[in-house]
Amino acid sequence: MVLQLLLNGIVTGLLLALPALALTLVFGILRFANFAVGAMLTLGAYAAYTANVLLGWPLPLAAACAAASVALAALLAETLVFERLRTRGSITLLVASMGVSLVIENFCRFTFGNAARSFDLAVARPMRWNGLRINHEQIITAGVVLVALVLLHLLITASPLGRAMRAVADNAALAAVRGVERRTVARITFALTGALIGLAGVLAGLDRAIDPLMGWNYQTPIFAAAILGGLGSPIGAVAGAILIGVAEEMSALILPVSFRQIVSFGVILLLLLFRANGLFGAKAIRK
Amino acid sequence: MISYLVTVVIFVSIAALVGLALNLQWGLAGLVNFGVAGFVALGAYTLAITAPHVGWFAGLALAAAVCAVVSMLLSLLTIRLEENYLAIVTIGFAEVVRILLLNLGDLTGGALGIADIPRPFAGLTPAGWGDGAILAFALTLVVVVFAFSEALVRSPFGRVLRAVRDDATVAAALGKPVLALRVRAFAVGGAIMGMAGALHAFFLTYIDPSQFTPIITAYAFMAVIAGGRGSNLGLVLGAGSIMLILEATRFLKDVIPGIDGVQLSALRLGMIGVGIVLLLIMRPEGFVAEPHRRLADFFPPESEKA
Repeated sequence: MVLQLLLNGIVTGLLLALPALALTLVFGILRFANFAVGAMLTLGAYAAYTANVLLGWPLPLAAACAAASVALAALLAETLVFERLRTRGSITLLVASMGVSLVIENFCRFTFGNAARSFDLAVARPMRWNGLRINHEQIITAGVVLVALVLLHLLITASPLGRAMRAVADNAALAAVRGVERRTVARITFALTGALIGLAGVLAGLDRAIDPLMGWNYQTPIFAAAILGGLGSPIGAVAGAILIGVAEEMSALILPVSFRQIVSFGVILLLLLFRANGLFGAKAIRK
Repeated sequence: MISYLVTVVIFVSIAALVGLALNLQWGLAGLVNFGVAGFVALGAYTLAITAPHVGWFAGLALAAAVCAVVSMLLSLLTIRLEENYLAIVTIGFAEVVRILLLNLGDLTGGALGIADIPRPFAGLTPAGWGDGAILAFALTLVVVVFAFSEALVRSPFGRVLRAVRDDATVAAALGKPVLALRVRAFAVGGAIMGMAGALHAFFLTYIDPSQFTPIITAYAFMAVIAGGRGSNLGLVLGAGSIMLILEATRFLKDVIPGIDGVQLSALRLGMIGVGIVLLLIMRPEGFVAEPHRRLADFFPPESEKA
């Protein structure tokens, strides 16, 4: 039972890792928490649904389509909204991201309605291994996320783009002096994080029904994961996500399932009380 | 028709109260609260649970007090951190409130909610005039809170809050207790949201968790942005016009063919989102800008002295 919950928790955590990473990357470069993460996740799930069910494409192709659509949406949000508000401070950006979130969520609701939907996928019997039940969806999720994380890690640490991103995150003014344009880096980062969130939306759609509020349900755990890892720290976000996933699943041992969503909030409160910099100690979040 | 108008005016009053509270927290003190709906729900439920036992007035006071205390605790946790954290905590708080309301069935009635909430002056109003009494009560509440907010803005407390909002470091260097000021501003705003929730419960006499969605939060932000952050007059105008637009869009259904109820509500909410973004970009000061005092207001130039 405990092992099963641990396994489920790790997979849930891996799913959270992509949007948490997206949140933390944007925060690192632009210093604001993008509240549209949940809505973008929903958009990704619906984009994949459109490709998979309405157009009849295979799921991997649908997932690519979701990643591209959300990347485009994120890029649009950045160029049309966030870029124009860059000089107005993080509060204005926060509120604007809430507005963007409303627009995206209701675009989905307008197009697809409130009814719950799911992908066109053959139901497969879960595998059994040493008494553990392992779903095919769980294997897909773990595989996709791990590959994405490795690629992203390589991108951040070993490519010129990753160097530019880290330079802007570290000191935007200094980066600008050295010829790294913040605007371009921000746009690329937004598109990249959009693709990550879109992918997470597809994985979330494998796990549960697709409806306009699905992303909203992930919002608090995503933020909890990013804060747990220390906002702005990519490795921290992944570790935080897995911890949050495990904590949520494990809470079933002591709490009724309907209270599960409170766990992430509790984690946030405890962290803010005792270790606001997160486990991986990102700096400069205090005023 | 009259009863429809009364309903609209009461909803405008509730929106104005919530907006005034957010204007105090965000407009005046620079503290983002994304959990507005949670505070309104907390106020409504506090009233609904306590009013049958202690009477409507004590219930109203309790609703305000509970929300003030919760606001204080949440803000104490986060207020020494960046703005982002308060926003995150308040958004999570609203979710937690929703989940608790749904799952603490013994106390809140779960998804069924609470019915038969006593109204103020219920025994004194003639039959059929119940909504009229609530209307008068709502308008009185708005006027009182408006006057209170205006007095607050003009008071030394309001001045210091604006100073803290614009530059906390300078305010701290001048010896102002920045943290305490912020916590107080957040608590006062929370109390007003609690009263708005209580008014909501008085009017409907029946509440359930589905009435307190994040939409309330979105309206409040739209009202504050449209009205002009920091301007209470602008806020009331903003809240009024947004509610009017929203009510007017109900009739879009008759104009646009082939649109169903879900699509219509999605369209209206999407419009709010677009409105928030457009106003932030094009008219950040809102339609009634925050009044700026100049040195000359306090020390008129020699030539103007009689």
